[in-house]
Amino acid sequence: MSALRRTIGPLTLLLASAASAAAQDSVLPARELDPLARLNVATRYSVEVMLDSAKMLGLPTRVLESTALEGIAKRADGRRIVTQVRLVFRSLRDARAALGLSASTDELTAAAGALRVGITNAELSYLARTRHEKQLTVPLVVLADLVTRGVPRDTASQTIFQLWQRGAADDDFLGLWRGVERDIVSGTAPGVALLNRAREIPTRGSPPAAPPAAPGARPERSENPNL
Amino acid sequence: MLTTGEHAVAQGTQSSSELETRLEAGAVMSSKPGTLPLGALAFTPGFRYANQRLSASARGAAWLGGKNWQLGDGGATLEAFTPLLYGVRAELAANAIRSFHDPTVQNDQLDAQGRLHLMRQRGGVWLGSGVARPLRVAAVSNVNVSSGGIWTKFGPATIRGSVTSFFFTKIAVDSADNTAENSTPVCPTHPAAAAEPTTAAFVGAAAPIGCRHQSRLTDLEGTVHWQHRLMEVTVRGGQRFGDRLDVTADSRQWASATAAVWITSQLAAVAGGGREPAQPTRGLPARSFGTLGVMLAYWPIPRGTVPVETPAALVHAFEMRAAGAELQRITARIGGVETVEIMGDFTDWTPIPLIRRGRDLWELLVPMAAGMHQINLRIDGGQWIAPPGVPAIKDGFNGEVGVLVIRQ
Repeated sequence: MSALRRTIGPLTLLLASAASAAAQDSVLPARELDPLARLNVATRYSVEVMLDSAKMLGLPTRVLESTALEGIAKRADGRRIVTQVRLVFRSLRDARAALGLSASTDELTAAAGALRVGITNAELSYLARTRHEKQLTVPLVVLADLVTRGVPRDTASQTIFQLWQRGAADDDFLGLWRGVERDIVSGTAPGVALLNRAREIPTRGSPPAAPPAAPGARPERSENPNL
Repeated sequence: MLTTGEHAVAQGTQSSSELETRLEAGAVMSSKPGTLPLGALAFTPGFRYANQRLSASARGAAWLGGKNWQLGDGGATLEAFTPLLYGVRAELAANAIRSFHDPTVQNDQLDAQGRLHLMRQRGGVWLGSGVARPLRVAAVSNVNVSSGGIWTKFGPATIRGSVTSFFFTKIAVDSADNTAENSTPVCPTHPAAAAEPTTAAFVGAAAPIGCRHQSRLTDLEGTVHWQHRLMEVTVRGGQRFGDRLDVTADSRQWASATAAVWITSQLAAVAGGGREPAQPTRGLPARSFGTLGVMLAYWPIPRGTVPVETPAALVHAFEMRAAGAELQRITARIGGVETVEIMGDFTDWTPIPLIRRGRDLWELLVPMAAGMHQINLRIDGGQWIAPPGVPAIKDGFNGEVGVLVIRQ
């Protein structure tokens, strides 16, 4: 009996520890009922005005709310948070205008990110016209990252557009991105790294179409200075 | 005093650059035995700059007592730290301090010290040793200081305990006003009568009651700092151990409390009071004190917003793999660090710590639906970075954020 007790004791402890460890695997807190309560009154008011505007335009409000929460987490002051939420709102609205009503939330978010690094509405519209049911999210994420890493904007957009036309898949774009990242870390100039790596991607679709007209014009912005 | 536990706590919680300036203004009252209470209007400006490797601070006080302004307590501190490696960090610190109680009791001191900290996420210990040189006091040698301490956090409270030992030589005097408690002769009446010539010796035939005395005293001190929303409270108490010559009755125990209530983000009302022990190494007597005033604080470089070091190179691998329906397992290989956290839109931008699974392996299971997500990674409380191996974009808040596309 005592031997059984000696065996059961440690086993129980072991199971309890394992259960505890498993429970600790995921420690996400429950979502706050009102996460924007972390904003001060003035900032919250400005953010909520933009959330209401986004709702009326059918834009994804979650992205704007997330931007405000990100600002809080990164200890940005209220003015900075409002500025950034406004920038995201405008870019989402421009992305919707460029991609059309059929664009998914992810595509809109990725396109908004691309607009913020300098890709134009005309270029986005060109991508949207040639999408053929394909998702634009990954190419746009890769495009925004490449420009952020220092690839000249025109080089990045034309290369991505050509790959898109040649039928490159999401894995091709991600593979391209990894290769360019490695080359940049090794010391290669960002633009050269992209052109070299793009040549390695096989053509999977129709031959390249003419790239979009040189995007000299900036995307149209809101005439309402408050938005 | 040379040593408290505050440095350790500061390093435990502070990891980004910040520049803080403060101006305190208010009334100060202090008293010591045998004197009338001294009241003064005090203006105390100060600044502090800190990042992961360096901390510099200075503070001064201008006192208006009667009609004259007087330069009161002040000091400057410079600290340098090594990088945190496996929870261990070394520290070198130098201080220059001026203390002013009243026109007859004032002192300057220079000191330097080294410390070794062992830190964990919610607590740590340290050991240190240093030397101090008081000026214009009866101590005729440098003061050797040894210290050790422990700190931990319980919710919004930080609790510290420290032991500090002082060893120095001073000129001791047998005076006629010795109390009954302190009536034991300090100095031998003749060199031949000295029982322990190594600890007490004549300094001159013309000074029959003055001699060199080797003093040792040990302070045991505890501090609780509690911070919640708009209020900060600090309570301090201590006990001193040593022989009767070195530890007078009014310095065996002490306690004090201060509170600050933040009225706005840059203005606080401050009140405090209590008792401070004597500082025999510096010739400063014990005193009671009370303060009441306001404090203006301004952070030209706000806390945690300035990148000081990108520790991405520490990350040997960062991976996300599907671990079930709408569940991702995040795995990172990062050696020599104490904490790894992530946050993103999927956590409502609340930092979540990864769980250490080995020497350099960190893991976490997170619910994450298919689609596009943003993610940041933080190591040892440092700057938020985009995880390596993930496309990144500027976040609009002076940093970068990683972008994940989770497929269905």
